[in-house]
Amino acid sequence: MANAFVAAFEILSFGAIIVLIVLGLGIIASMMGIFNFAQGEFVLLGAYITYLAYAKGLPIWAGMVAAPFLVGALGFVLEALIIRRFYAAPIVAMLGTYALGLIIRESVRGLIGGFYLTVPEPIGGSIDIGAMHISAWRFTIIVITLLVMGGCYLLLARTSFGLRVRATLENPSLARASGISTPLIYGATFAFGAALAGLAGALIVPVFSLFADLGLRFLIQGFVAVMVGGVGSFIGPVAGAGVIGTLSAALPWVMAPVVADVLVFVLAIVFIKFRPQGLIAGKGV
Amino acid sequence: MPKAMGAVKQAVPAEIGGETHVATGSSRTAAKVVAGRKVLPIVEGVVLVAALLAPLVLQDYLTVFATRVIILALFALSFDLVWGYAGIMSFGQALFFGSAGYGVALLARDLDITNIFVVLPAGTLIGLTFALLLGGFLLLGRHPSSVIFVSLGTLTGSYAADRLARGWYYLGGQNGIPSIAPMSLGGYEFSEGPTFYYLVLGILVVVYLLCRFLVRSQFGLALAGLRENEQRIAFFGYKAQHLKAIIFAIGGAIAGLAGSLYAFHEGFVWPNMVGVVVSTQVVLYVLFGGSGTLIGAVIGTVIVEGVSFWLSDNYRDIWPIILGLLLLLVILFRPLGLISFVLGERERVGSFGAKVKENFKEKRNAP
Repeated sequence: MANAFVAAFEILSFGAIIVLIVLGLGIIASMMGIFNFAQGEFVLLGAYITYLAYAKGLPIWAGMVAAPFLVGALGFVLEALIIRRFYAAPIVAMLGTYALGLIIRESVRGLIGGFYLTVPEPIGGSIDIGAMHISAWRFTIIVITLLVMGGCYLLLARTSFGLRVRATLENPSLARASGISTPLIYGATFAFGAALAGLAGALIVPVFSLFADLGLRFLIQGFVAVMVGGVGSFIGPVAGAGVIGTLSAALPWVMAPVVADVLVFVLAIVFIKFRPQGLIAGKGV
Repeated sequence: MPKAMGAVKQAVPAEIGGETHVATGSSRTAAKVVAGRKVLPIVEGVVLVAALLAPLVLQDYLTVFATRVIILALFALSFDLVWGYAGIMSFGQALFFGSAGYGVALLARDLDITNIFVVLPAGTLIGLTFALLLGGFLLLGRHPSSVIFVSLGTLTGSYAADRLARGWYYLGGQNGIPSIAPMSLGGYEFSEGPTFYYLVLGILVVVYLLCRFLVRSQFGLALAGLRENEQRIAFFGYKAQHLKAIIFAIGGAIAGLAGSLYAFHEGFVWPNMVGVVVSTQVVLYVLFGGSGTLIGAVIGTVIVEGVSFWLSDNYRDIWPIILGLLLLLVILFRPLGLISFVLGERERVGSFGAKVKENFKEKRNAP
């Protein structure tokens, strides 16, 4: 019983992390049709900012709060300078964002060297439920993920900004004709996606520690999750992330980790092949 | 049929016209094109002569490095064929490169087979088989797959293979397979040095000529059409997906050949060889040099590897950053790569088959 509960918690917390990372990726892919290869590096930047705050003696949570804003601002600037040119060509966008990611990743590698740098958890210790102990910080991540998911949903579904974003997604030329500044919406969406990645990076750095290839690790999982969930909606990538995150955390409990690792990807690709529209088809929220 | 071909011919530059400037009617462009007609053979000749002379002027350790570059150029050629000519974004080309490398390494380790006439065909066959399987799955089927799906599918395949190689004890795990016996022919062993260099250069030249023939044939014309507008090619009655799968398999075979040479040249294989790192590396080579021209892939490899070797002593840390910046600049401002500085658009697109050529000239002189 206790074991099963711990396993379930592990699976849930890893699923939450993947959802958190995929949120930004999914929003950018759905709203703008761009598979952002630099998303992993935005995660890395968020982690790095948190580490910097910690290294400078500031409280860790200050770094965690600052990370999404700084990364979001960077995303806004990059969108205006570079990403904007790629909208018409999805493959060129992949290559361009890959180049951006390379620049960011190698810069961070230059700054931190080849080390694994640890950042302590701002909320340490464990929560005891009877005889079982679960990590307080992982629990916090789950809670924050739920809050962020809810917030994103409300933002897209209930606010006038969300309406504009959805209008731009649905029919850009009609949106422009209705007086919506689509370039601004794209810029804001990209910045928002980047900010979510920054937040994800800031939250996971105590769990995974900081190293230059941190983002790369999640990038491909993120892409697969977005494709499985279905591009074009908000809820699709989240569902995909839930499935991929749960599978990659659950399968190693029942089979050899190597096999499980590969099996998740194979299953995902086969699934996408036969259901290209993903789990949840359709546009909108 | 010739009429249809003419239509494609016309359509190709029209599609490209969006990014570069091909005006069929303008005499100025025409003059430039005629003047630029002979650039490609000159570039190819210069590269070949330079490659032939390289071991004579280079020190021994540089010859070893040059051999590695030639092998990687062969690998780049395979990616260029798939992306530059058929427009299939293969982000997992290293899967075929690396699996062939692992395959021949296992042959050498477990079965003591190092005969060049066995291992190279075996490596090629491994690359071909994997490419047929993956390409067949990703590209064929009732519904044509989206470009995004194919690129992410190949990327995922390569990543999964990397994880598998890292975790599988039989393949040596993280360390890969070290100290592979050298490739042999009878009693002779190919060790690093000028002989190995000329061997791989010879293979590169042969493969290059085969590719050149292929992309200038009717098949190549269909591929070019496929790259520019897949739907239109399908409307002409071509089985677009089959064409794609064929070129993908050929690309895989060449990558496999390169991978087996690489394994024997370096003397070891390790998980990165199948993974995302090498997969993206080859994309860099081709984008730098210029996709859609075979020689561009070779030049790109030589430049990227050469500069990285040259800078690695003093600027090891900042080189990848510079590489990223340069790549971004190339993508933004020179989407056709460095080769486009000397090579005109008309010549890059080129002509296909004798009949079409005449048809084409007629059209040029008409207005």
